[in-house]
Parts: sequence; C-alpha cells; structure tokens
Amino acid sequence: MVNFVQTVLSGVFMGGIYAGVAVSFIVIFRSTQVFNFAQGEIVMIGGFLSWTVLAHTPLPWWFGVIVAMALSAGVGILLEKLVIRPLIGQPLFSLIMVTIALILALRGLSIMIWGALPRRFPPLFGTTALHFGPFSFSPSLFYGMIIISLLIFALWWMFGHTTRGLTMSAIAEDHQIARAMGISVKQSMSVAWAMAGALSVLAAITWLSGRSIGFLAADIGLRALPCAMLAGLESIKGALLAGIIVGICESFAIGYLDDLTAGGMSLVMPFLIMLIILLLKPEGLFGWRRIERL
Amino acid sequence: MLPSGVFSENYEQDKAILRTRLRWSWFFILLLLLALGPLIIPEAYLGALCLMSIFLIAVLGLQILVGYCGQINLGQSSFMGVGGIIGCWAAMKFNLSIEPTLIIGGLASAVYGLIFALPAIRLKGYYLALTTLAAQFIFHFVFTRVPSDFFFGTYGGFPVKSLSLLTGTTLNSPNSIYYLIICVTVIFTFFAFNISRSRLGRAFMAVRDNDIAAEVMGINVIVYKFLAFVICAFFAGVAGVLWGFYMRYVNVEQFTLWQSIWMLGMIIVGGVGSILGAVLGVIFIRLIQETVNVLGPTLVAAFPAQYGISVIFAGMSLIIGLIVIIFLIYEPRGLAHRWRLIYRSYHLWPFPY
Repeated sequence: MVNFVQTVLSGVFMGGIYAGVAVSFIVIFRSTQVFNFAQGEIVMIGGFLSWTVLAHTPLPWWFGVIVAMALSAGVGILLEKLVIRPLIGQPLFSLIMVTIALILALRGLSIMIWGALPRRFPPLFGTTALHFGPFSFSPSLFYGMIIISLLIFALWWMFGHTTRGLTMSAIAEDHQIARAMGISVKQSMSVAWAMAGALSVLAAITWLSGRSIGFLAADIGLRALPCAMLAGLESIKGALLAGIIVGICESFAIGYLDDLTAGGMSLVMPFLIMLIILLLKPEGLFGWRRIERL
Repeated sequence: MLPSGVFSENYEQDKAILRTRLRWSWFFILLLLLALGPLIIPEAYLGALCLMSIFLIAVLGLQILVGYCGQINLGQSSFMGVGGIIGCWAAMKFNLSIEPTLIIGGLASAVYGLIFALPAIRLKGYYLALTTLAAQFIFHFVFTRVPSDFFFGTYGGFPVKSLSLLTGTTLNSPNSIYYLIICVTVIFTFFAFNISRSRLGRAFMAVRDNDIAAEVMGINVIVYKFLAFVICAFFAGVAGVLWGFYMRYVNVEQFTLWQSIWMLGMIIVGGVGSILGAVLGVIFIRLIQETVNVLGPTLVAAFPAQYGISVIFAGMSLIIGLIVIIFLIYEPRGLAHRWRLIYRSYHLWPFPY
C-alpha cells in the first residue's frame, strides 16, 4: 500500500514538471495559434542560461533565476521576431515545419555553445529528501510542483480576467477578427513568446536542479507534448490535470510494467495515452471544440 | 511549359510525360549516365549516389502524403525501419529472393502506416503531426524489445546477407547493388509521377486544399487519406529494404527521428507538392550532409577537444535547420519553383514572357 501511494505521489510530482512545460506550449498556442514543437529546446536553453548564470556569477540564486528568466524571455522574443512572424498567414504546414526546423537549429546551436558533455546543475532546493510519514520526495520536485501550480493558476487568472489575457484569447479565436477589434496581434505574440521563454526557465530549474544538464534535456519537450495535446491546446488549467494524469500513468509504468518490458514502457506511455484520448476526443480533454465550415 | 510549335493531335500525345524529341534525348542521356555510373563515378561517390536513391524513394512517398494529400508525417523513417527490418527478416528466415523481399517490406510498412492513419480520420494539423511522432517512438520501443533469438541472436537488428534475384543471379558486389537500387528508384519515380497526374493524385490535392469541400464534391476523404498513408508507407518500406541490402545490416538505431525530420526538410527545400521538388530536395540536402561528413574531421579539430564528434551532428543539425527555415521564409515553393523560373526564362529569351 505504501508502495502504491508512493508511486501515485511521485507520478503527481513528475506530472507537475510536465505541466510546467506543457503550459508553455499552451501559452504560445493560445495567443498565436502556433504550436511550438521546439519548446523542449527552449527549456534546454533556459536550463543552460540559468546554469551559466548560477555557476559563473556570484549572484544569489533567486536573483540568478530572475536574470536567466529575463534572458530566456529575450530568446523567445528573438525567435518570434526572426522566425515565426515572417510566416504568419502561411499554411499550417509551414508553421509546423518551421518549429521542427527550430528543433534542429537550436540543438545544433546549443551543442556548439555549451558542448555535448552533461554538466552538473546546482541543487537549488537542497539535496536531502523530504519525508512525510513513510513517503519521501525529491525537494526540487516538491517545491517545483508548488511553484508550477501557483503559476498555472496565475496564468489561468491572467488569461480569463485581465485585458491583456482576454485580448490574447481573442487572437487564439481568430487573428483577423482580433485585428478588426483593435488588438495588436504582433505585440501579443511577442508577449506570449517572452512568457513561454520565462516559464521554461522555471520548468528547467525545478526539473534539473541537482541533476545533470546536457542537450538531451530537450527531450522533456517530446515527453510533455502529449500532455499539451491531452489537455487540449487552449486549456491552461487542463495542462495541470493532464500533466498529473500522464505523470501518474508513467510512474505506474515505471513501477509495474518496466520489468515486464525490459524498461522503456514508461517512455511510450505518454504517447499511448495521447493516442487513445485523441481517438476518442480529437480536441483533447478541455480544448475548444471548433466548428468547421466551408 | 512547352516550346512553341508542339501540338497535340490526339489524346495520347496530350497525356505523354515527355513530349518533345529534345526531352526524350535528355531522358536517355540521364538513363545512360546512370547505367554507366560505376564506370565513370569513383566508388566512394557511388555510395553517396546509392544513399541518395534510397532516400529519394522514401521522400517520394512522403511527397505524395505530405505534398499532395496534405497530411503531416513525422514518422517516415520509422516506416522505413519497419519495412527494412521485417522485409530483411523474412528474407533471411525463409531464404527469399530480392523481389518478394521488396514487396514484403513495402507491405509490412504499409500495414504499420495504416495503424497510424487511423487517427488521421479525425485529426488534422498539429494533432496528426503528434500521432505520427508517436509512430516513431512506438517503432523504437517495439523493435528494441524483440527477443534476440528472433533476430538471429542480436538485439534490435541483424546483418543482411547477399540475396539473389528471381532469375538466380546473386547480387554481392557493390555495383550490382547499385544497379538494383537505381532500377527500383527509376520505377518508383515513374509511379510517383503518374500518381500525381492521375485521378488519385487529383483527389489527394482536393483533400489537401479543403477536405470538407472534397467530401462535398464526392471524394471519399477517409479512403483517400488511408490510400495516401498506405502509398507513402509502401514507398518507405521498399526504401528500408534497399537500405538493408546496401548497408548489409539493419538496426533500429539507424531509423531515427532526425532522419524523419531531414526527409521533411528535403521536401521543403525541393518544393512541396512537386515530384521534381522531391528529387531536387534529396540531392540538395544529401549533398550538404555528405559535405559535412567529409569536413567532419576538420570541424572536430577546429573545436576544443571536449566537444568530440558531437560537433558533426551539431553542425549538420544547425545547417539543415537554418536552410529549412530560410527556405520556408524566402522561397516556400522550393527549388522546383526556382528551376521552373530558370527554365522558362531560358526558353523565352530574349523576351520576358
């Protein structure tokens, strides 16, 4: 029984990280209608930026994280201006392909800059495991879960209750109508990419602290993709739930199925869940149902 | 476009692919050059040509699915892998000849493709891209967990021994493999050309441009989407089997996600929705990859030692990623469009149009 509950709880905490990455997919999609396949690479670059700041400057860690978030937001704005904006209005295929090409370019660039060897990421939240009765957790995942849940609720509030958020949601509905209503699509897109850049630093530090960082860290993006799809691409709060669902399933797969399948069941689990849900409910669990007309 | 003075007097002439004597002669010169390949090309470059042809077959399939039918496929190299591994496995196990092996590989891959075409009935765009990405991961998962006694004592792959044609000739020299690959490529290019000109290709294009409108016009969208996936996967499967013959070894690790992305890059660089584009894109991207591979040691030496050979992968990714981005932004119609512009201005010279 203890084992079972421990499996569920560690799944929930891992799901928090997935939700953190998935929500940055959703923030971009909700305000630009672009699904950024290279989000994992942005998380990796966010991680490398914070590693560079934390390991090479004497700043206190919380200030270092803020600096890294600002830098990463800058990277987001740069990518949006250079790569995404010229393609607005092009067919969907071009937008999908450009973010996939970004995967290649950003991976190559980060190996050129930071090298291919994994580095140790400083443990920001301490290294001693937290104990609650018979259960124990990694501190970074625990605090990360708290930070990410708070952040997701803040984002949900922002998108539903502030002028900025509502204008961004209007853009997700239809670019042309939003412009006709006097909303600056360009500005909102820059804001969304900056937010996604800053968010991915948070996801990166909670996931990586105390582990090693290398260019393979970008694979978190591929694992969080199914979460974003599962949530439906427009739902902020859905990301948290989808992250937790995927996290729990994955942790059960690690605990109970990996022995039977020589490991690796946990890696395909998110994709299997996604395939099943998408076959039953093509817009994801909480996505907007769009009506297509001729 | 046709030069002036060429008229069609009956429907047969109107339907022909090559309509002037000049084009027929160019066609025969190309065939002759390919046939003389081993005599005039050094052996090192012959290998590059073989790989180009293998990729061309897979990319032609992808062009039919992505360029003509408008469905996105991020798992083409896994389709290639399924065809290659299952085809070569059957050949080793039952001592088959080359022709049935190619067909078995193609069919195995088509069945695998059909599984991932199921979501395409209901999904579009981003969602479909994600499910085909799953094809890549599931391929890797399944084939690395096949018991080793099934794969003749190794995990994830096995060596492929020389096979013989139905006529009984065994192909074991590099040159004979070259001729096999070139023949299959010519046949598949011919098929791809004609698919795009036939009712099938026009139905695919209708589905691509607007699937609801296509349905209203009486095209069974689901059947045609399935067909596009099956054709795409069949091409990939045949390419996979040829890959096995050429490499003399098939392994799961050879069919990576990166390869799938490179193949999509070839389509974009060449031109989406054009068979000529697929050919030009494959040549362009493969040339870049070969150049990076040749320059590899210099590149490794130019970087500090701790970078090691990962610089080659990094450089290749960076260059191909940037090229694809630049093409998407500045020339979304690809090299095929450029080629048509050059051809047209050459024909009309000295008049602008």
